[in-house]
This record gives sequence, structure tokens and C-alpha cells, in this order.
Amino acid sequence: MQKLLLTIDKISTFVGQAFSWLIVALTFMITWEVFSRYVLDHPHSWAFDVMIIMYGTLFMMAGAYTLAKSGHVRGDVLYGFFRPRTQATIDLILYVLFFVPGVFALTYAGYYFAAESWAIRETSNITAEGPPIYPFKMILPLAGAILLAQGIVEIIRCVICIQQGDWPSREEDVQEVDVDKLKEMVHVKDEDIAGLDRLVLPKEGVK
Amino acid sequence: MKIRKELWFGFTLMAIILVTVVIFTPWANFADGHLSHEDQGALGLLMLALIVVAIMLGFPTAFTLMGMGVFFGWLAYRSVNPEIATQQILDLMVQRAYSVMSNDVLIAIPLFVFMGYLVERANLIEKLFKSLHLSLARVPGALAVATIVTCAIFATATGIVGAVVTLMGLLALPAMLRAGYSVQLSAGAITAGGCLGILIPPSVLLIVYGATAGVSVVKLYAGAFFPGIMLAALYVLYVIVVAKVKPHLAPPLSESERRVPLPPLSQALSSRHRNALAGLWSGFRAPGASKGTVAGQLFVSLLPAISIAVLLAVMYGSATAPRVAADTTGLVQAGGGIVADETPTPASGLEEPPAEGLGDADTLKEPVAESAASAPAAAAAPPAASTAAPQRPAAQEKPTTSDATPAERLPIPIWYWITFAAGVAAIALISWLMNWQRLEIFKMLLTSFFPLAVMILAVLGSIVFGLATPTEAAAVGGFGGVVLAGAYRYIAARQAKRPNPVGTTLKDLGGIIKESSFLTAKTSAMVCWLFVGSSIFSASFALLGGQELIERWVLSLGLTTFQFMVLSQFIIFILGWPLEWTEIIVIFMPIFIPLLAKFGVDPLFFGLLVALNLQTAFLSPPVAMAAFYLKGVSPRHVTLNQIFGGMMPFMAIQVVAIVLLYAFPQIGLWLPELLYK
Repeated sequence: MQKLLLTIDKISTFVGQAFSWLIVALTFMITWEVFSRYVLDHPHSWAFDVMIIMYGTLFMMAGAYTLAKSGHVRGDVLYGFFRPRTQATIDLILYVLFFVPGVFALTYAGYYFAAESWAIRETSNITAEGPPIYPFKMILPLAGAILLAQGIVEIIRCVICIQQGDWPSREEDVQEVDVDKLKEMVHVKDEDIAGLDRLVLPKEGVK
Repeated sequence: MKIRKELWFGFTLMAIILVTVVIFTPWANFADGHLSHEDQGALGLLMLALIVVAIMLGFPTAFTLMGMGVFFGWLAYRSVNPEIATQQILDLMVQRAYSVMSNDVLIAIPLFVFMGYLVERANLIEKLFKSLHLSLARVPGALAVATIVTCAIFATATGIVGAVVTLMGLLALPAMLRAGYSVQLSAGAITAGGCLGILIPPSVLLIVYGATAGVSVVKLYAGAFFPGIMLAALYVLYVIVVAKVKPHLAPPLSESERRVPLPPLSQALSSRHRNALAGLWSGFRAPGASKGTVAGQLFVSLLPAISIAVLLAVMYGSATAPRVAADTTGLVQAGGGIVADETPTPASGLEEPPAEGLGDADTLKEPVAESAASAPAAAAAPPAASTAAPQRPAAQEKPTTSDATPAERLPIPIWYWITFAAGVAAIALISWLMNWQRLEIFKMLLTSFFPLAVMILAVLGSIVFGLATPTEAAAVGGFGGVVLAGAYRYIAARQAKRPNPVGTTLKDLGGIIKESSFLTAKTSAMVCWLFVGSSIFSASFALLGGQELIERWVLSLGLTTFQFMVLSQFIIFILGWPLEWTEIIVIFMPIFIPLLAKFGVDPLFFGLLVALNLQTAFLSPPVAMAAFYLKGVSPRHVTLNQIFGGMMPFMAIQVVAIVLLYAFPQIGLWLPELLYK
């Protein structure tokens, strides 16, 4: 079971990471467009549409990845104080109550939304001869489907956690604040920090 | 036991909300499915109460909003026409989601976030902190002031509170503790400084607010600039006052800590002259010193003078030559030449004031301007006369270079001469003050502070002056981040004498870009999915008429504008305790914004107040993120209570800043009004 969960985690992660390279492409594309417009005096009419498409694709496809790494923002007032079993119970109920209907509705509606666009081979109407937009609309149900699959994995995780009493493991990933890496970057070692205690303690004595 | 207590508190709060909702909900009317107008409004409020409870339970907010929005929206449609309700809510939902996907404001978020991660990983904070702390060594509370300034700059460029606080906790906290600073003051400076990036543009918060409230991000950036600077300045002021009044909390640095080790060349030359410029000049004749190195050093030490000169020349060009497409290049070169020629040798017999000299050149070039130019020139001459450097050669040279440009120039305005005199005086002052120690510090600043400052100012400037959209500026900033990260890694690789520096740099850079783009994807997905959820939610809320009900209720209270502002800021302040800023802005701003028009409040001004207010959300215990990040890297005996205690004065300063901004709205509104009226 754990293997299956990790496999789906891996798929979401792979998809999310693959699409996250779009940010690099987006940065370079816009930089080039700025250069081309202001220096070479040669703007491209499709640039704006392409920008939007890249941005939309980027964040939609990363949704499941973010869920797999539990990166979606939570109100962390009480949650952190709960025991894992309580956490899992709350999560389980709310996944079934909110997540599944919401994301399923999004995927379902997105499918018809994209299909309509696909049927008429819709193009962007921001500029006169905009690029085709229907593949972009396909992203909506696609991202929804992956997110739903990842959500089901999370539900199974909750069930396992309720049974076992603590959370099943997740794959490691880059952290926003990776303390060890930051320590290495500024050449600070744990001993140095421990050594500082000496400086903190005498002060306490004075007070 | 403590944990239990907090849990009880939370549950009690939730129970109160739920019980209130249950009592006030007209259940009887729901049974038949056909809701009256009032019932729908009540349903809307029920939805709002439930969302607060659900968020407090800790489920990912984006999906809570989405699920609840769909359900309640369906209820709203069903009460009108049950047959097509399902189709209607699905359409609404997908339209809303797609509008977030194609939102041309939010697109700047991933780009700014990407830039932030790159700068964070560029590994320049250590240098930045060190150079700033050395250059500020004479200020009381030098280390704490340097911490705040470092935070302000670094946090502005990265915008990642956690990373900034952690890094400063690793760098500045040990330094401050070693220097004998109190734990509270050190912790307060780090946490408060680390949060500045939320407010000072280019910040993601302002983009999110702009997208929610429909306010131009450009105006928000222009508006938030001065309040951000003001807040940082207030922090610095507080630290200086504390260091002056209670020196035992922040003792001044000892002489040995202030000393900068000099490189061998400077050491050799420093015996000849105290002044670095003069010393370097004489270095050309000194035996054993390589001429190239000396020239390089001299160039570096003249950089401030050169940049001021170029600035003056550019100002001259724009002040006098807008009429025709005049050729200003010759002028810039000539202007640059004047000061590049200026050397620190004491004023020779040439008593020609520089201003007069330039005026002469103009007279030769364009006789039209003569009468206008010579009078202010004479006026500006006395202050500049003392600095009469050998500029005569430049002035003589000029006619030959600019003979060929018979452009019609406008008369030179008097303010230009005043600026010119000030500029020349500044050059003289800098040259005079530039001793060997300062030269070393300046070189350190040059490699750490200025690249970052220039990048931020370029990004901001191009947005605020309308040269580029925020999206474009963010992308170019991200590109700049790549360059910066590459450059710093390359320098580090060179200094560490690693084999094949280019190869290792490229490999490092690849890793940095990879990590940054993964993190960017996650952060943008977090913010933008929250947006998807909230836009579905707020559509349902409006559909149910909850908005209308709240509006009617608030108006029935008969508040004055002032009372309304205080109340709304107070509510946001309270919300900042359990919620994150993303949630507050995305969920609650749509409720506040429509009310603003009723009270005649500018949404731009409100946004600035909110941004300032939400700073406190990061510092208010018990969920102050900043404190936990700092605790994670501080010595074992630094307690959370000490950190919280240190944050309190800074929170008070934030409140003062909000009051100041409210009392003097011009702090925030002056720049946008100046630029976009």
C-alpha cells in the first residue's frame, strides 16, 4: 500500500517538477521580449498570451505536487497541537466533505469547458490573431484530475494514520527554509551555536 | 498543560461561533428549499462563520474554500431554479478558476518569488551583513542597526520571511551576543527586520492585494515605498535610542572589532598618506607596486565621484535639452571627464571655479544660453570654489569635442546649479574622507550592498516610472537574480581556488535554478490555488447576498469614516493572529473593499494600511512565524519568551507607523499622486 502511495506521490511530484521549469522559460522569455521591444524595437504580439499560458499552466500543474509535499497553506492555530490521530480524523472528514466534491466539480466542469473550446478550436482574443487557447483550457481538467488522484492518496494516508497512530512517510523534497543548507551557506556550525549559550547564561544570572 | 489550555481556547472559540450560527440561522425556512432574500443572506453569514471554523481546524484553506463555495453556491442557485442549478454552479466555478489562470496581475507572483529564491541562494548575505556592520560601526547599536538594514535590503529582494530570519539568526545573532547585546534586543531586531520584506516593494503581498481589490499594483508599489522606508527608519531610530539610553543593552563595538584588515598594497601605501586617494596617486611612483593594481584601486576609489559626475551630467542633459533631439552623448563624456580628471592633489593655482568653467564651455557652445547661464554660475561659484580642482583642462578640452554639436539648448535652471554645487561638494567630501579603512569598507559594500540595491532599485524604478509592467520588471529581476547568483558563486569558486571555476559555477548555478524553480512552483501553486478557491467562495458569498447583508449592517451602525477605519484595521489585526496574510487578504478583503466606497476611503490607501498592519501578524505571539524560525537556529538557552519579549517594542513601533500613516496619508500617497496624476 505504502508503495502505491509513494508511486502516486512520485507521479504528482514528477509532473509538478517538470512543469516548474516553465518559470525559468517564462523568466527568459519575458526578459527577451523586453529586450526585443525596447532595444531591438521589435515586439511580438503573441508574447502576452504565451506569458499567461505559461503562468497558468505552471501553477495549475503544480497543485498536486504542492499537495503531495503538504505545501498548501493551513490555518495552523490548533492543528499543530493535535495528536496525529486527531489530525488525520479531521483531515479525513474535511477531505471527503470539501476536497473531493470541490475538486471533482472543478475537473468535471473543466472537462466540458475545455471540450467546448476544443470543438471550435478557440484562439485567444486578446490580440487580433491570438494563438490557440484550447490546449491551455485542457490544463484545467488535467490538473484537476491529478489533484484528485493525489487527494485520494492523502485520504488513504489519513486512514492509515488513524489505524497506526502516526503519519506514513513522505518523500523528501527541497525545503523553503532548509536550516542545514543555510548553515552551510553562511559557514555556521552547530558547535558555534552551542558555544553561544555561554554568552546567554551569565545574563540570566544578572536578571 | 499549556497545550491543553490553547486547545481549549480554540475549541471554545469555535463552539461560540457555531452556537451563534445555529441560533441565528432561520432553519425553518431552509426546509422547503425556497429561500427568501433574508434567508439567503443569513446563509451567506453561516458560510463565513463555517469557513473561519474550518480554517482553524487546519485543513488546506484553498480546498476548504472551493468545496464550501461550490456547495453554498449550489444552494443559492437551487433556491431560484433547481433544474439548472448544478449546471450554473459548475459554469460559475470553471469561469472563476479560468479567470485566475489567465490573470495578468497574479502572473507577477511566480516571477518575483523566483527572483527571491535565486537571490536567497546567491550567498551574498554574509558579505552584506559584514560590510554594513563595518560601515555602520560608529553608529550606536551598530550591529542591531546593521541587522535591520541588512534585513530590509535582503528581505526586500527575497521576500521570504523564514529564510531571512533564519539566515540572520545564524549570522547576526551570534555577532550581537558576542558583542554583549541583550538577547531581547537582538531577537527583536532580527525578527522585525526580517518581516520588512512583506511591506517594502516589490512584495508579493501587494500583488495579491492588488489582484483582490482591483487596485493597480504599480500604484501600490509607489505608495508602499515610503511607508516601508519609514518603518525601517523607525526601527533603526528605536535601536539607536535604546543604545544611547541603555548602553548595557547594546554596547558599542571595540576598536579591534571595527578594524578592517588591509591588503598588502594598501598597507604599504598607507604609511605615505592617510588619505587613500592621495596615497594611491603617489603609489604610481612607489617602487614595488604594480601600476595596474594601483590604477584599479584608484578607479574603485574614484567610483563615487564618477557616478556623481555622470548623474550630474545626465541631469544636465535632461534639464536643458528636451526641446530638440539634442546630442547629449558628447556632454556626458565631457562631464564624466571633468571629474575623472579630478584628482585629490590639493587645489593648484587655478582659481577657476568649476561651475564657471562649465558655464564657459556652454557659452562657447551655445551663445543663446549665455546670459542665463552666467548669472547662476556666479551664484553657484562660491560654495564650489573651495573645491576648485584642476578642471581647467577639461573645460578647455570641451570646445574641441563639442564643436560639432550646434544643438539648441534650454537655459540652465537655477536648481541645477544648486544640485551641481552640492554634487561637487559631495565629491570633495568623499575624496577627503576616503582613508584606507573606508576604502576597504567601500570595496566590500561595492561587492555586496550595491549590486543588490541597484537591482532592487532598477526593478522598482522601472515599475514605478512606468517603463515596464510589474510582470516584465519581475522577469528581468529574476534574470538579474540568475546573473547575481552566478557571479557570486563564480567569485566564491575563484577565491576558494577550486579547479575549473567556470564549470563548478555552472553546475552550482544549475542546482540553484533547479531548486528555486521547484520552490517557486510550490509557492505559486499555494498562492494561486488559494486564489482559485477564494474566488469561487466569494462569488458564492456575493450570490447569497452575504455581502449585501454585511454592508447594510455596517451602514446601519452609523460609523464615521474614522471609526470605520479603526474598526476595520482592528479586525484585520485580530485576524492576523490565527491566519496567514494570504488568507486574510484573499478571503476577507473582498468583504472590506466594497465598504470602502461607502466611507469614501481610497482602496490604495487602505491597502497600504493593511500591508503595514499585516506586518504585525508575523510578530504577534503565539503564532508569530518569525519567532519560531529564530528559535530554530538560536542557542538552546534563548527562550521563546525572550524572543517574544524582544518583538514587543517593534510591534509597538508598527502600531505607531500605522497611526503615522493614517495621520499623514501623504507619506504613502504623495509618490503615486505625483507620478500618476
